[in-house]
Amino acid sequence: MHRQFVKVCRIHSAVNISNLVSVLRCSKSSQKYYCTKFENDTQGPNRTTRNADDNRKHSNNRKPPLPAIQNPFANVTNKTKDSYLAMLEIFEERDVHRRNHVEFIYAALRNMADFGVEYDLEVYKALINVMPKGKFIPTNVFQAEFMHYPKQQQCIIDLLEQMEDLGVIPDYEMEAMLLNIFGRRGHPLRKYWRMMYWMPKFKNLSPWPLPNPLPDDTLDIAKMAIDRMCTVDLRSKVSVFETKNVKDAIDDTWIVNGMSAEQSKLLSDHPCDKAVYIEGPFLIWLRNRSINYFTLRADPDQSFLHTQKEDQDDVSQINAPFFGTAVPRPKREVDKLRSVHQQEDGTIFAICATGTSTKDSLLSWIRLLEFNGNPKLGEIPVLFRFSSTVAAKAIEIESQTKPDTLQSHPRSNNKE
Amino acid sequence: MSVLRLCTRSCSNHIFSSTYLPLLQAQSVALANCIHTTAIRSTFWEKEKKSGYNTKITLPSRKELIVEGLRELKEEIKLWKEEMKEKLESDPILVYRPGEVDVVFNFKEDNALDRWVVTTDADHREGKSIAKLELSAAGAGLFHGSVNSEHVKDGVIKRTGYANIRTKRVRRSFKRESAFDWTQYNTLVMKIRGDGRNYLINLHTEGYFDLQWNDVYHFVLFTRGGPHWQMVKIPFSKFSCPQRVVYKIDRARFVWIVLHTLGFQLERKSIWTVPFG
Repeated sequence: MHRQFVKVCRIHSAVNISNLVSVLRCSKSSQKYYCTKFENDTQGPNRTTRNADDNRKHSNNRKPPLPAIQNPFANVTNKTKDSYLAMLEIFEERDVHRRNHVEFIYAALRNMADFGVEYDLEVYKALINVMPKGKFIPTNVFQAEFMHYPKQQQCIIDLLEQMEDLGVIPDYEMEAMLLNIFGRRGHPLRKYWRMMYWMPKFKNLSPWPLPNPLPDDTLDIAKMAIDRMCTVDLRSKVSVFETKNVKDAIDDTWIVNGMSAEQSKLLSDHPCDKAVYIEGPFLIWLRNRSINYFTLRADPDQSFLHTQKEDQDDVSQINAPFFGTAVPRPKREVDKLRSVHQQEDGTIFAICATGTSTKDSLLSWIRLLEFNGNPKLGEIPVLFRFSSTVAAKAIEIESQTKPDTLQSHPRSNNKE
Repeated sequence: MSVLRLCTRSCSNHIFSSTYLPLLQAQSVALANCIHTTAIRSTFWEKEKKSGYNTKITLPSRKELIVEGLRELKEEIKLWKEEMKEKLESDPILVYRPGEVDVVFNFKEDNALDRWVVTTDADHREGKSIAKLELSAAGAGLFHGSVNSEHVKDGVIKRTGYANIRTKRVRRSFKRESAFDWTQYNTLVMKIRGDGRNYLINLHTEGYFDLQWNDVYHFVLFTRGGPHWQMVKIPFSKFSCPQRVVYKIDRARFVWIVLHTLGFQLERKSIWTVPFG
């Protein structure tokens, strides 16, 4: 058996050598087409120059076609999930060998956002399905250790990484697919298992969960933002006002207001000679959407915050006079509790977000608060404290409403 | 994000150990945009601790260095004296009272900002983010700026956009490097006020060998947003180190022996310019 095997091997090698020789001969015969350097070595200097001239003429007449780097996804007019999946199907049925499937998957990954499918698990699975099953499974230890078919494995690892970055959690069907393609020892499998270990752990970790995807409507997002900020006080109520209900209001928008009974109480106890401030805009982010909000705030009540509360357990400073009896300590065991809203840097009465974030809408907010259970606001002076961005925005919005400013816009000038 | 103070908390579950535990941690993944996904896996020898990110500073001449060193000698001797005094005078605290919070970082102290360093990707010309750490009007530390994930197409960097604050390395006299000894504590307590986004807390525990130089433990810091201050308590056991890629997936308890720096980081991948603060 062994001898036979050796013989066969020899025959094979002989065949290989003869093949190689024939290839070499072929290459000699086709030197002028493929190998210009070889030409230069063999032929005389005059001849080479003429040849070069010929070549130049040739190139002027007929340009060799550039290697085809086409993005099939860029030419699609109707960019939807269906057309994306249809393109994958076309690729799969075009050729038995599915040539260039790695390049195709990379191109498909780059164009996912244009089709709006970057958060879709089904599409990722369809992309993995492009890979042939069973071909890339290592059959021995060395193949398994030295990353069998590295380009293909890296391609799928990159796909999984994109999923990971966008927070798309894979499922068990994907595991089965990857097992069929790369086998138990494949690197994409290791990546998949690691993802399935960690991603569910972080998925619901946030104490303020958000719906996925976020709603598009700004009012819904504003409601969610105010709701989230109001979790500090369980008695808080989020209400939506319409500025239509206010007399003399210029803007016609919504106002989302967050206020609790405790804040109402604090506001009614606020002295009339001290001003309250509308401050903002401040930013709050809900995943990748941001909302501007404003606060109704007063300066901190220093006399209340800094009254010395005696710690009865503190034995570091016992007042023990040398003569006479000790002075009895003032006991303040029964006192007003400090509210959550009485922060060190101010007392917060209410939070709001408006549709336009203009001064006028905030004025309507104060009026609406006054009508809805806070009559004290009519007596307290209310001051605006804006950071620069909103003022600029307000001017911008106001300028757009005037016809004069519209004409002075550079684009309209160009048209004239 | 505004950080007022940062404290540690002791509890009855003390961890007594003087060795660095081998950590069995798998590569970690977080909520989108939070924890970096692919750790650089290098089993080769590393030349320097900064892994190629050393800023090249031209040193002054040897003579100037000696003069400068002598000038600093006075302060260093003063520090050393205090250290010796403390060593002779004080007995080590063996029993920590449970539930007690010790303040380590307080922005209301003098020169509080000197303990922090702000870094962004723009420092090494790898991005365009801007960040600052300042004191706000109320005396709190205010970390603000704008994270920009505009990609720098140099063919090496895959993605950009981060802003980071970290504490300076703790040191003893004569410029000897040291570490926070938080072996007795088991929770990180912070009083913060954020903008509703998720931040990353990095705890850097540098080991002796080059494989352990870049060990960083992470956890996500969720901020509520809004005008109210927020107390955050995170047990150290929650932190995980995705850089230690061990294929055996198991969670090991993290032991506090060497904690060198502590940092907060904001990372952004999908949106271009994002103000925060």
